[in-house]
Amino acid sequence: MVSSDKAVIVDGIKKSFGEVAALRGVSFEVARGEVLGLLGPNGAGKTTTVNILATLVTPDSGRAVIAGHDVVSDPAGVRRSLMLTGQHVALDDLLTGRENLLMFGRLQGLKKKVARQRAQELLEQFDLVDAADRAVGNYSGGMKRRIDIACGLVVRPEVVFLDEPTTGLDPRSRQAIWELVTDFKEAGIATLLTTQYLEEADLLSDRIIVIDRGTVIAEGTADQLKERTGGTYCEIVPAQPRDIPAMARALGSLLPDTNRATLSEASDRISMPAPDGPKTLMQALHRLSEADIELMDIALRRPSLDEVFLALTGDGVRAGGQDRTDAFEAADAYA
Amino acid sequence: MIEHAFSAAPRPAAVPHAARPAVSTIQQWWVLTVRMITPTLRNGELATQVIGSIVFTVGYYLPLKQLMGAVQPLSSYAQYLTPLIVLQAIWFAAVSAAFRSATDSVQGINRRFRAMPIASLTPLASRMTASMYRCCIALAVSVICGHVIGFRFHEGVLYAAGFVGLALLIGAALAFIGDLIGIATENPEATAPLMLVPQLTLGLASVGLQPVENFPDWIQGFVRNQPLSQWVYGLQALAGDSTDAAPEATWSVLAPGLVWAVGCIVVAVVLHARVSRRRR
Repeated sequence: MVSSDKAVIVDGIKKSFGEVAALRGVSFEVARGEVLGLLGPNGAGKTTTVNILATLVTPDSGRAVIAGHDVVSDPAGVRRSLMLTGQHVALDDLLTGRENLLMFGRLQGLKKKVARQRAQELLEQFDLVDAADRAVGNYSGGMKRRIDIACGLVVRPEVVFLDEPTTGLDPRSRQAIWELVTDFKEAGIATLLTTQYLEEADLLSDRIIVIDRGTVIAEGTADQLKERTGGTYCEIVPAQPRDIPAMARALGSLLPDTNRATLSEASDRISMPAPDGPKTLMQALHRLSEADIELMDIALRRPSLDEVFLALTGDGVRAGGQDRTDAFEAADAYA
Repeated sequence: MIEHAFSAAPRPAAVPHAARPAVSTIQQWWVLTVRMITPTLRNGELATQVIGSIVFTVGYYLPLKQLMGAVQPLSSYAQYLTPLIVLQAIWFAAVSAAFRSATDSVQGINRRFRAMPIASLTPLASRMTASMYRCCIALAVSVICGHVIGFRFHEGVLYAAGFVGLALLIGAALAFIGDLIGIATENPEATAPLMLVPQLTLGLASVGLQPVENFPDWIQGFVRNQPLSQWVYGLQALAGDSTDAAPEATWSVLAPGLVWAVGCIVVAVVLHARVSRRRR
């Protein structure tokens, strides 16, 4: 049996496409009402993971359970519990927005009258009443994404996969989708969010996992991940860049050798770890003023999630095999 | 309930609280079929289908009536030509089937259906139902066109029903092939040439326009045995003629056409399963 507070349990799933190992043992869990951000460079295995959890692809080994249903032994149960919406809007372009909502409502087993009612509610909630009777093919990108998500909400999902839900959207539509994620949380729905926008993952996710080359390379809250890649650092900008060597001397033991080694003629600032936060900053300020160095700026900084991401996954040129995984995932996505 | 300041933001009520209803395969099949048929009524597809049948009739009958009407054995060229017009019309309908299945594949709606509580064969069944609807339109319009130029059923209701049945079986085979091409290419633009080139070449090199004896010796074997010719023989036999010159509706005349049609369906189904499995 599955403990009831975990909506998604993924335990060591592996998947290869021919020679290419897309997933090499991925494990994570998502609780009800929790938003898990799934980050990773292109070809890392994000889409394959989502496809396995959505029963579109069968894992070679490992176990995945969605709302108590195993993806391999009970795919029908999984499909009854989830909503999948992707970066590629999947609707019937020839039908109107209302007809699409009606169709998905009826496909999910709603009676005609209920489906019609629900369609109207969703059109109002997603601000699409004016466009309701126009063919979806003529919608703007933001409207398409909204109707796409609305079609997934004709009945209540237990688990939602948002696959890059705001890629290419204007700020207004993006904001609307962000608020929707908050609604999912309040309704006790588990959300798995894949995104390229780290700011978005930072804002919406309770926890984040980073996947690279088919394995989970980091897991935690955004704060924990930031801490892991060096934590808070102190950035000092002198008024005159030529003062950099004098600054480095003055800082002495505060500036570790590794940071010292990165300084060059072209440096216009010094970055160094601030393990004691403001105290480190005070010490630095004290030593620099004693050395009589004029500063333009001195501040404590936290790494952005972008920096965390680059530090975790950045190792120069990607291997050729990764691109092939990408191609397989792209083919899958359209299948 | 939280009130959002942002007007476009979906309210928390976006998430329904009611339990999920049970799904019904019959209802899903019907909804997906209606989904395919509804747009044909307003995007010109139905009109194109009707006009297509008329154009095939006019385009073949008027210019070829004098030229080939004299060298064919039946009482009138309309009687001889109409089976080919019917076949060209239902083939044309299968082009639409290919286009729609390719569109569904490339738009990702198939992927979405596969992640929903829908049996894996239901979307295919719905596409085939919609294809048979197009096929029925094509058959009806082309038979009416044939009637206008002088085509008649001479062998009674049973044989006329046989004519319709054979035409629909062939239509199903062509629609299956079209659907397969759409699924396999995932490219709506590529489906039309893939369907139309064989349609035109097999159509011209068939016994539908003129008897096999009028072709050069070296190609007669191909002309006689290719599927379109065998289907023409079968339909000509079932329609009959006011003279005795039509092929007899015997098993030896009908069987090759039936085998071609059923064979196409079997091969298409097997390849269909293989293409679907490849994507797992």
